[in-house]
Amino acid sequence: MSSSVIKGTRWTELRLHRRALWTTVAALALIAALTVFLRWGASAYPSVDGECGGPCKPTFLGFANGEHMLQEAMGLASMTLLLLPLLIGAFVAGPLTARELESGTHRLAWTQSVTPTRWLASRLTTAACLAAAVAVTLMAVFRFGAADLFGRWNMGWADRGVYEGTGPVLVAYCLFAVAVGALVGLLVRRTLLAASLTGLVTGVVLAVLGSVRWQLWPVVQASGPATTMEPHWMKVLPRDAFMTDVGVTNAAGERFIARQCTPDQMAHFPCPSDTRIAGWFLDYHPRSHFWYTQFIETGIVLALAAAAVWAAFLILRRRTP
Amino acid sequence: MTATAAAAGTAIEAAALGKTYGRRRGPALDDCSFRLPAGRICAVVGPNGAGKSTLLALAAGLARPTAGRLTVLGGAPAAARARLAYVAQEKPLHPQLSIADTLRLGAELNPGRWDAALAQQVVEEGELDLSVHVRALSGGQRTRVALALALGKRAELLLLDEPMADLDPLARHQLMGTLMAQAAEHGTTVVMSSHIVGELADACDHLLLVAGGRVRLGGPIDELVAAHTLVTGRGSAAELAPHTVVESRATGRGTTALIRPAGAIAAGWEAQEPSLEDLLLAHLRSPGAPALLTPEAAPRAESEVPA
Repeated sequence: MSSSVIKGTRWTELRLHRRALWTTVAALALIAALTVFLRWGASAYPSVDGECGGPCKPTFLGFANGEHMLQEAMGLASMTLLLLPLLIGAFVAGPLTARELESGTHRLAWTQSVTPTRWLASRLTTAACLAAAVAVTLMAVFRFGAADLFGRWNMGWADRGVYEGTGPVLVAYCLFAVAVGALVGLLVRRTLLAASLTGLVTGVVLAVLGSVRWQLWPVVQASGPATTMEPHWMKVLPRDAFMTDVGVTNAAGERFIARQCTPDQMAHFPCPSDTRIAGWFLDYHPRSHFWYTQFIETGIVLALAAAAVWAAFLILRRRTP
Repeated sequence: MTATAAAAGTAIEAAALGKTYGRRRGPALDDCSFRLPAGRICAVVGPNGAGKSTLLALAAGLARPTAGRLTVLGGAPAAARARLAYVAQEKPLHPQLSIADTLRLGAELNPGRWDAALAQQVVEEGELDLSVHVRALSGGQRTRVALALALGKRAELLLLDEPMADLDPLARHQLMGTLMAQAAEHGTTVVMSSHIVGELADACDHLLLVAGGRVRLGGPIDELVAAHTLVTGRGSAAELAPHTVVESRATGRGTTALIRPAGAIAAGWEAQEPSLEDLLLAHLRSPGAPALLTPEAAPRAESEVPA
């Protein structure tokens, strides 16, 4: 924080939250160092095929070997990355916005020579820049740590955590959290309540979009006659494709799942009246759909963020002359 | 007087100003009208909940009035933001900042206006160490830092909400001295609110008595006092017509009344000049008495107000 470079409202924001800033820097450095250590452990103590018949004895800090530990850690890291927008949103809503309104220090800020609108604009841009920087740093560290693991079990490009942590959507979610945090902070004016509410809203949006994202771009459909059944569809599916649906069709082309409807219909499963299998079908997203889905989802999240920013400014303008 | 000159001569002007918080509560300010000429040291007095803080917050541009019009330094309160300073009743400051950083905040947020030497002088007069954090300060010390921040801004209008409430008499005297010296040197208009009359009477030359969300008395203190007479006599209050009776009380020997004389006072009534305290208490005890604004404290007619 050089005094000559950073001035005005920017200086006050960074000075007021100096402790949070240094804590974040320290946490990032710690996470980076830990990842370097894990990668070193994985390369120095890799798993050997057939090393131990049956379950391996824990020999490396409680894990079978260094590679196993890296794998476990990165699996956890991919899930923890999803918490980043929640944390950012809670900070922006609580300590950055609601606490000022709760303790009355906003009256100090708004009666200097800076208008409330500029005050909010300055806070939003500072928070957005820092949030994006933290997100990009953590994503880079994650890519470095999991570089050799992508494609393995639970580390596919479409798996939750990995999908967000390797594309622009995570940055978009972090910016969305900043915007919602400011809006909720202005509305609620209670530090703890605003922080928890923002975490909740961000989490819900993350979960809802996470469950609809594979419908944002049309799937690739494959099908064939029943004669080419088992051996064939395994060959159709590209190696790194993300399969969203698989089943069989009857002569009319109605889809169902063979096991649920033949020889008898199992309870609670939808089955057509004609359950004679005439062919098979397969829905999947090839690897190339990653970017389409990422960009559409990023667009949606950024549009939501823009709406929240607009609402925050509207509220501020209504309250102050 | 031209329109611009008239505007320059007015610090605050309110016309039928109203402010209601929420739908269920009654109005904090209701049909409040007055004019404060520039360069005055004005005391805003009134009981708790009278609307003093609301009035100051509206003037500081922190809230929107729900009715009427408010002009500050010749324009909308928001336009005067850089030229006014405000200290809220709770003296909000950031507890995690040192005094030095609090003053730095004033410098950063008021580029081109900030008087660092003055702000530092106000703090040092209180023998405060600049490296101490705000959270470690006593109530009075906080007030001093908040005032240093307000004075450092070199504002044309100082709005101070209950500024002296948690100061000991020595610090109060000292800070008031600094404040008055600055105001006199730069022609600053100062508006201070208090619910204690005596606290501000010596320092101020102008008065606004606010009660029930309205201005009950407004004008130079000496003119307001001169406009009233305290009379004692054997007759009843009804015999005091045509004078305006603000308040009358039966005493052992007859009646004591505070009146606004309209002409000579009849024989048989002993007249004396009331104290400021008599004046304020009489008006607070009789909410029905008509308001009195001296000519210079009365808002100008709509046509005279510059757009």
